[in-house]
Amino acid sequence: MFERQRRLSWISVTGIVLLSVALAIIPFVASTTGLRQASQIIISVLAVLGVNVATGYGGMISLGHGVFVGVGAFATGFYLDDLSLPWLVAIALGAVTAGLSGALVGLPALRIKGIHLALVTLGMAIVFQPLSKRFPKITGGVSGQGVEARFDAPNWWPGDSRMASAVYRYLFCVLIVVLALWATWNVVNSRFGRSMRALRDNHTAAAIYGVDLVSARVTTFAISAGLAGLCGALQVLLVPFVSQDKFPAQESLVIYASAVVGGLGTIWGPVLGVIARTAVGKAGDLVAGFDGLGPIGDFFSLLDESAFVFGVGLIVLTFFFPRGLAGIGRKRQPSG
Amino acid sequence: MNWNFDVLPDFIFNGLSLGAIYGAVALALVLIFKATTLINFATGELAMLGAFLVYVLHMEQGIWLWLSMLIAMALSAGLGVLIERSLTRPFDPADHLPVVLITLGLFLIINAVAGDIWNYQVRILTNPFGKFPDWVPSVGGDRYVEVLGSRLKYQSIGIWVTLALALFLLGLILNRTKAGLAFRAVSSNTESARLVGVHTGRTLGFGWAIASAFGTLGAVLVAPQLGGVNPNMMATILIYALAGAALGGLDSLGGAVLGGILVGIIQAVFVTWGGVVVFGQLYMSILQLAAAFLVILIVLLFRPAGLFGTRRVERV
Repeated sequence: MFERQRRLSWISVTGIVLLSVALAIIPFVASTTGLRQASQIIISVLAVLGVNVATGYGGMISLGHGVFVGVGAFATGFYLDDLSLPWLVAIALGAVTAGLSGALVGLPALRIKGIHLALVTLGMAIVFQPLSKRFPKITGGVSGQGVEARFDAPNWWPGDSRMASAVYRYLFCVLIVVLALWATWNVVNSRFGRSMRALRDNHTAAAIYGVDLVSARVTTFAISAGLAGLCGALQVLLVPFVSQDKFPAQESLVIYASAVVGGLGTIWGPVLGVIARTAVGKAGDLVAGFDGLGPIGDFFSLLDESAFVFGVGLIVLTFFFPRGLAGIGRKRQPSG
Repeated sequence: MNWNFDVLPDFIFNGLSLGAIYGAVALALVLIFKATTLINFATGELAMLGAFLVYVLHMEQGIWLWLSMLIAMALSAGLGVLIERSLTRPFDPADHLPVVLITLGLFLIINAVAGDIWNYQVRILTNPFGKFPDWVPSVGGDRYVEVLGSRLKYQSIGIWVTLALALFLLGLILNRTKAGLAFRAVSSNTESARLVGVHTGRTLGFGWAIASAFGTLGAVLVAPQLGGVNPNMMATILIYALAGAALGGLDSLGGAVLGGILVGIIQAVFVTWGGVVVFGQLYMSILQLAAAFLVILIVLLFRPAGLFGTRRVERV
């Protein structure tokens, strides 16, 4: 388990190839709106990856990662408009701000564990939305507010149409997500990553072997929240508008559910989770589009709501595939 | 600062009646936690579903409100048994993650289903204590009694009486019936209870049933304060109830009720009244929610067993 996997399995290789082909085709076939939606789906991998780091690798349940996405988005908007910082700096600082808020949450996680931590983070998720309504200067209050700054393609970019800009944003998001996946993969396989997983599996044993519990837990939570914050920052890049109504508690739960459905503690889990979420949502759209299905159609209109699908998905997967989509077909590892 | 003590009793009465409702929902959490050491995150959504059942029975079918409430509580209890039997019993309660996922899944499903059926608008549900018969005394046509120079609304009294009655019944069931004895045995030691022949599974189902019924009662009583029923009505109530349960101790039934009431008072006196004193205006919802969250955080950090819960000793 602690040995780094050097060779990729053929499933992973096929998956990566298919995914790359799909990502390369999208800009040629999609409209500007479609491209923006695709980018939004792609960056949502980051938030799920954040949960995966905290829960999958760090063993700390977080039901409140939507909060860090929100902090990232609001902070980025603030840095752009109120401090007039350039985009790259604002995005980086947005992620760092979310990471710092994550470190704050990581502190109580030193003492509060298991189901109690789930309780505290769920509380955080529920409190965040009404709380953010109360700071209208940063969040735009109840109705939200636009961000003045625009992320446009630089001069050397071929073409300056809206489409060219959309492609530029899309590629930027893909690049960031790939970099984040690559960086996370390296972190979880580094010395720090091993101490993180050792803590998850048996914190007493980890402490005996010289893992610094405090710094490991806080750092894990900070990295995890930073990834979610990056997702929020890129949301602002795609749609220059921040609003509290994007961050209800259900959003946090769906992010957590995506992480579980994809497979906790695996690097491809977040990608699979987001693909599953999108696929089922689209299937629901399609079926709901047919008229004349009567009560069956009404039922399928439920599929439209990713919250419902993920609720069902969570329960089904917990029963039959406790290691998520990424774990299907793999040999069970002895746990504990 | 304006120390406006005249209105303080108003806030206290309000806090006591809200707190009693938090206590009922906290009780729903604790009844399940006590027996299985799992937190049912879907408690609030189940309660919301119960409130909608009352809405359908009473507002749409025209059944007498209190009868609708009893039917809805019975149906919620049945649903609780069903969930326990089919979704949570297969899992080892010592392993938190699967059961957390199951109840979260339920949270999402119930919320989405309710949203799909009834959409997210607030729907008015008759206040159980909105109208009183003529023989109830009134002050100038208004239904309240004056206590300490403040108005004590009949609605508050009604909530207290209803919940006190429900608690009394719960006490009778737990202390005077065989099922209650079995429940106490299972929550004190599941393995020993199983060894002496208690049907633990059926007993846990019984716990879920009472818990769901209490949740429904709480949701129906809180609905008038929220302007009616809607699928998201219990999100914030759940936070107050969790705070109450944590404060009272997650495995103490009496603690849950007291904790809920304490949270109601903290909310009313320290936050709402204090907010008026310090800021000169109401900062209602936000400070209250933040205070409830802080209560959860502080209790779990410094006294995880709460005020009345049993401390757990961890053996290494």
